[in-house]
Amino acid sequence: MLTSIKNQEILVELKNGETVFGKLSNCDSWMNLTLTDVIYNYNNGEKFNKLEEIYVRGNHIKFLRLPDTVMEQAKEQNMLSIEQRNRTKGRRGPGNFQKRNNNDYGRENRTGGRNSNSSHNNSHNNANNNNNNNNNSGKRNFA
Amino acid sequence: MSISPQEENKAQTSESGGSNVEDLYLESYAFTTAAAIVGSVDRKIFVQLRDGRNIFGILRTFDQFANLVLQDAVERIYLPAVEGNGKERFAEVPRGVFMVRGENVVMLGELDIDKEDDHLEQRGQIHFGEAEAEFKALQAARMKEEKERAKQYLKRGLIHDYVKADLY
Repeated sequence: MLTSIKNQEILVELKNGETVFGKLSNCDSWMNLTLTDVIYNYNNGEKFNKLEEIYVRGNHIKFLRLPDTVMEQAKEQNMLSIEQRNRTKGRRGPGNFQKRNNNDYGRENRTGGRNSNSSHNNSHNNANNNNNNNNNSGKRNFA
Repeated sequence: MSISPQEENKAQTSESGGSNVEDLYLESYAFTTAAAIVGSVDRKIFVQLRDGRNIFGILRTFDQFANLVLQDAVERIYLPAVEGNGKERFAEVPRGVFMVRGENVVMLGELDIDKEDDHLEQRGQIHFGEAEAEFKALQAARMKEEKERAKQYLKRGLIHDYVKADLY
């Protein structure tokens, strides 16, 4: 999720109460972050320090405050990555046209369900998606 | 995790209402790890952090570490009544989209949006900056107390376990 807001300004609070405000330039799955154009605030908010770049070990983070627009961007990014995954899956096995068709039917059903639900339960659907993908790839391996 | 009578009740009521099939589906599974909060996604929840903060917001997503993303989050501080004035006090400040690292979470719970503000009516709202300062002072006092206690314990050969970060 964090990768989708690269190059936006976030505020990080560390466990010791110090805060770091800056542009997110990189992050990883451990929540380690690199920020640029940083304002580093320590000593109970009394002291400020301007830095060009900072690396924060994810371990040390208490919480992050993100821009309000992040939810939509995350959603978009998620959709894109799912699409990409499906596309690469389809390309991998040129021989099994039939199987790929099955995949597509499955996908249609899923999106249909999503529309009729019309609520924001994206996370559930994503979980379903993952499951389905796994199942499909398993099938292909057996064949 | 066995299903408590309460939850069973809830399941039955939602069944009779026929409104939320998804709820029913989820409640039939006994999640024990971070997945237990899957039913609270897109609901308003309350989170208490290890530093004593209370955050209220809509849970949008989470992961296996119980890292949480809250939307339209509000931080609220509760303070005891000033002596002489009977009213307890509270203060709140909007926090926008708020992402909490799971290890800092003490507890979280779903809120009943019809009743969540009822208790605030008996309390007076004060300015957040003011409240925060007072809250920090309270925490500092508590810290001092715990330090003193640890010293006394140590004198008697006991260890008083108190971690600096645990101010809840």
